[in-house]
Amino acid sequence: MATDPGQVRADPRVRGAEENQTVLIQRTLRSGQSIFYPGNVVVLGDVNPGAQVAATGDVIVVGALRGTVHAGAGGDEAAVVIAFRLEPTQLRIAEHVSRPPAGMVPAGQPEVARVRDGVISIGAFSGAGERQGTVARALVPYDLEAESDSEK
Amino acid sequence: MGEIIVITSGKGGVGKTTAAANIGAGLALRGYKAALVDADIGLRNLDVVLGLENRIVYDLVDVAHGHCRLKQALIKDKRFEGLHLLPAAQTKDKTAVKPEQMREICLQLSEEFDYVIIDCPAGIEQGFRNAVAGAEKAIVITTPEVSAVRDADRVIGLLEAAELREPKLVINRLRPKMVRQGNMMNIEDIIDILAVDLLGVIPEDEKIIVTTNKGDPVIQDERSLSGEAFRNITRRILGEPVPLMDLERNGNFFLRLRRMVGLG
Ligand SMILES: Nc1ncnc2c1ncn2[C@@H]1O[C@H](COP(=O)(O)OP(=O)(O)OP(=O)(O)O)[C@@H](O)[C@H]1O
Ligand SMILES: [Mg+2]
Repeated sequence: MATDPGQVRADPRVRGAEENQTVLIQRTLRSGQSIFYPGNVVVLGDVNPGAQVAATGDVIVVGALRGTVHAGAGGDEAAVVIAFRLEPTQLRIAEHVSRPPAGMVPAGQPEVARVRDGVISIGAFSGAGERQGTVARALVPYDLEAESDSEK
Repeated sequence: MGEIIVITSGKGGVGKTTAAANIGAGLALRGYKAALVDADIGLRNLDVVLGLENRIVYDLVDVAHGHCRLKQALIKDKRFEGLHLLPAAQTKDKTAVKPEQMREICLQLSEEFDYVIIDCPAGIEQGFRNAVAGAEKAIVITTPEVSAVRDADRVIGLLEAAELREPKLVINRLRPKMVRQGNMMNIEDIIDILAVDLLGVIPEDEKIIVTTNKGDPVIQDERSLSGEAFRNITRRILGEPVPLMDLERNGNFFLRLRRMVGLG
């Protein structure tokens, strides 16, 4: 049976390959600098506190992510954020907004953030095996409208 | 042609002027001709820190507008052979000079001086743009505080955008004891975020306040830790490899020594 193109589109591993382009940012984004891209963003550097990345697709940071990232900015709940050091000020995926709980210790390894059960959760990223991997910690959802943390 | 270096920080009050005065004096003490340019128009300080305020006749704005020749505005510091100051105007504001005029003045100075050191005002607006316009290299100063590091990061980004690549970092007002207690960012934390080369670390030192008030750069003080830090920074600017001094050990050693001789 010939491969149905629709199947490719549905395959999560190649999601974004068709409708989205990927842009490479080959530098560190510093405080005050921002990127918005209708597609996936790969940063070959750090995203520092005060810097911002927004993408309709996935965001991958080959470095330390300490600023704010919004993946799936067009509403894609399946978008992910991957970073070598995931220590964001704030993470957004689709409509979800969250921040790391106070005192969260860096994992010291690449991590991935995704929406699970309506909450942005992060876990170890280990390539293909990650998709079956367990979720280590849930981030704190942030209710923007009420402007109050559910943690309180 | 001399090197044109701007000293900048984003955040105010972190030690730009102090560093400019001491590095200028340090270069002169090592036998180089150095011109200090005070780009902080309207809030000039460098003349006061150097104790040269009473000798100002013409200033940077006068030079930019052709009211005098560059030579006439340059003040010679008689204590440090080779050190000159181009003071800022106090009664004007940052818009009194344009970036092209700054560039022209800096270029002209670099023909005669080995080093042109520009003391940048706080902020990232016109004063900053003027100060960096003529520079070829940059020194970014921060203190070990999150807000200062954030502003330094912002400024490094702006410097990169202005084609001033690979700025060097100076960390000022470090308190080894607070770092040890975990109450202050340490050197590694700061470099980890800013990812630039470290030019030096200056400890918090009340001698800086004393010498600044007297108009006498601390770099002359052979016994002060901050003076030693500035001498090391000067040598690194001159290309000598100088290891970072161990502020903590020295600090403790000094304290102990002082107590032993009954001074502490
Ligand atoms: N290492 C230090 N130890 C103690 N005091 C210091 C130290 N460095 C600077 N200071 C003091 O901090 C104050 C601010 O320093 P300085 O004027 O050099 O900062 P600046 O960055 O030029 O400020 P501005 O942004 O207003 O131009 C001064 O009173 C100075 O004496
Ligand atoms: Mg100053």
